[in-house]
Amino acid sequence: MHGHVSYEDFILQVAGFLTTYYLFIAAMNGLAAFYLWQSGRAKELFRLPGSGLAVTTVHVWLLVAGVFTILSAYATNGGAAALTLPQAVRDFADARMGPVVYTVGLLLLLSVLYLGRNFFVKPTVAWAGLNLSLLLMGISMTDMDFASIVMKPDNVPIVAMIYLLGFFTWLSASKAVQNDARTARGEVPLEKLDDEKVLVWPDLVYTELICMIALMAILFVWAILLQAPLEEPASTVKTPNPSKAPWYFLGLQEMLVYYDPWMAGVVLPGVVVGGLMAIPFIDFNKQGNGYYTINERKFAYCTFQFGFLVLWVTLIVMGTFLRGPNWNFFGFYETWDAHKVEALNNVDLSQYFWVDLLHTGRPKAADDAPMIVKIGYILLRESVGIMLLLFYFGGGPPAMVIYSKFFRKMFLRMGFVRYMVLSNLILLMALLPIKMLARWTVDMKYFVSIPEYFLNF
Amino acid sequence: MADKDELSIEQILAAARQQDGGGDAVPVSETVPAETPKPAAKAAAPAKPGKMSVAEMLAAARVGDAGGGASESPAPASTAAKSAAPAKKPGAMSVADMLAAARGDKSGGAAAAKPAPVSKKAAAKAAPAAKEPAAATPSGPKDTASILSAARGGAAKPGPITKAEAAARAKDAGVAPVKKKATAPPMPAKPDYAKTVAAPTASTERRGFLVAATAIFAGTFFMTSALAIGFSSLAVTMLLWVLGTARFMFPNILTEPPTKFKVGFPDEYAPGQVATKFKAQFGVWVARYEYNGQPEIYALQSVCTHLGCTPNWLEGEQKFKCPCHGSGFYKDGVNFEGPAPRPLERFAIRLADDGQLEVDKSRKFKEEVGQWNDPASYVSV
Repeated sequence: MHGHVSYEDFILQVAGFLTTYYLFIAAMNGLAAFYLWQSGRAKELFRLPGSGLAVTTVHVWLLVAGVFTILSAYATNGGAAALTLPQAVRDFADARMGPVVYTVGLLLLLSVLYLGRNFFVKPTVAWAGLNLSLLLMGISMTDMDFASIVMKPDNVPIVAMIYLLGFFTWLSASKAVQNDARTARGEVPLEKLDDEKVLVWPDLVYTELICMIALMAILFVWAILLQAPLEEPASTVKTPNPSKAPWYFLGLQEMLVYYDPWMAGVVLPGVVVGGLMAIPFIDFNKQGNGYYTINERKFAYCTFQFGFLVLWVTLIVMGTFLRGPNWNFFGFYETWDAHKVEALNNVDLSQYFWVDLLHTGRPKAADDAPMIVKIGYILLRESVGIMLLLFYFGGGPPAMVIYSKFFRKMFLRMGFVRYMVLSNLILLMALLPIKMLARWTVDMKYFVSIPEYFLNF
Repeated sequence: MADKDELSIEQILAAARQQDGGGDAVPVSETVPAETPKPAAKAAAPAKPGKMSVAEMLAAARVGDAGGGASESPAPASTAAKSAAPAKKPGAMSVADMLAAARGDKSGGAAAAKPAPVSKKAAAKAAPAAKEPAAATPSGPKDTASILSAARGGAAKPGPITKAEAAARAKDAGVAPVKKKATAPPMPAKPDYAKTVAAPTASTERRGFLVAATAIFAGTFFMTSALAIGFSSLAVTMLLWVLGTARFMFPNILTEPPTKFKVGFPDEYAPGQVATKFKAQFGVWVARYEYNGQPEIYALQSVCTHLGCTPNWLEGEQKFKCPCHGSGFYKDGVNFEGPAPRPLERFAIRLADDGQLEVDKSRKFKEEVGQWNDPASYVSV
């Protein structure tokens, strides 16, 4: 993909992009400063000693805009190559980056954001975070491997969607934090203050019309700027390498790496859909109806964000940007080498148990044994995994009741059937990351592996 | 309403109740069926001398009740009497009676046409209230409509009816159809031509038969020619369509390369070699390696056992690697990494008569069920 372009040519191409990019960020910050100044929402940070002149957030964002303008000019004048992360940092990031670091790290990051939400949703903090991430994107763009992945016509909209998702998550969390603070003070949520009704025409239809036109404009620009990502003619005997699903299915494709096709492709998606349909019957918390809140619906909020952000979006990002040829894992700044050797010697649980622990070899029926005997031997071979799963799904729900005060309350409130549905859905949801971690850390292939009857779990 | 001559129904009723002694305190809206005054007014509007007015009919019917069947038309009157009889209570005047009485008092018997507009207005006023079933009132099971219908010679069914219905019933009442007992008609005598005749003696009869058959056939055909042509062509079209569909199932192409093909002589394969040159056309790797310590040549199908992608042979790493989900297979086809649950599948291979290896794609051998020990799945070297 990028092997044919020399680094100098590449930098020239990127410099043009970076000029516009940094100029865009500068304009963005300038507009923000202007808005703060006009709306009178600027906050005074400190007073200059001596003159007593107040320094407000307006000045700060104007300064940031100025810095980005200078960066833009610098990138144009051949300085783009200098605006980059040190090679050592990139190498370190690549060497440390792996599926475990990536997923667990993102989980930790999201947890920190969640726990410190009162701080992170402040507009100033969020805006600073946005600027930082855009700057990081900009200086990473001078890396050929990073740029080739991010600027692939397929992937540009996905990058845009990551930012869009970040914005909407921030928006909802910000409103929720405000409402929670109001509730703590004994006031009604913001949405209840302003529940004035508006007319469909013109208020709604007009907005929809504007959105429609804006969307058309974006599609036109998109279609003109980005070439259609066409590939070579299809062939039954040649699969593109890497072969990727549409972006919205990349989470499923990542799941398929850890599960048997019928599990990852049929059962688990079915459980996801069924579980979403079961929410109205499981959820007995009547709070948060019609307004944003986190404190009043902590369990629902965390469960949803874990399922959506961690188990879905994270996997899509991983499948899009971090999975290269032969579905190997590649860091952000790593060349997609089709011959990268990764030791992935996956072992079934039965192998671990019979061969490595007992040193007996896996039980196996004679070739000419009757079918019933063969099935018996298969069950004996996989007995450890079967018992483990039975223990997980059978013992999990009562254990949760016994050891967790929260789930005890849930059980008393919900009754047996509803609680069992809830707890089994949660256990199934937790099984995906557990299985992934087991694969990455101890090369666990399948807990129960019965390839004779296409039953693998 | 303010007109002195035109009293509203409420006023009339109130007056009547005062006369009646107030024994029957029934709410007006319940006792006056909304529909009654309308047909009554319509019926009364022409007011021909020969016809009875509604009020007169009512009065007559009730007189008939009391008098035990004395009426101008005996049959309907008796049914009316029957239906009304059980509801009759001593001392309780029905609304119709009250109405009739009040009207008689007010304008001297000739007020049949006059109250009509009044009752119309009143009905419109009382309509919502009157929706509550009139039959629920304790004193008036004998509603005006049923009385009217009975008087008009309708059936025993009580309830409001339209003018047309009433007319039809009155018409029918006179000529009520008598149900006939179903009896089978006697069999007709056999016609001459149907009787058994002696064997035909002359050929003219045969010719006659031919002529008759042709005539009948042609006649039938031309009589129903449009339908016949239509259905015939439809049948033919459908038949062609079915045949075409059947033909469609066997397209005029060769869908696959031959399932049996030669892949060269065994000594063309060096030990440990994987030949990838047959993959593009046949989807097969031919390899010379060992399985269970036994050196052999075998043919592996180039389809991943996970989800059916086509893996690649990586010479540098000596493994098959699938680009879709990263499944990896050793040179002998056994899976060792990624999600693939089973080893690759083998095709049948044998030494042909000319000494070349021949792969047969119609037979497959799976390792996990022990089929790789089948001598048809490999050629020993």
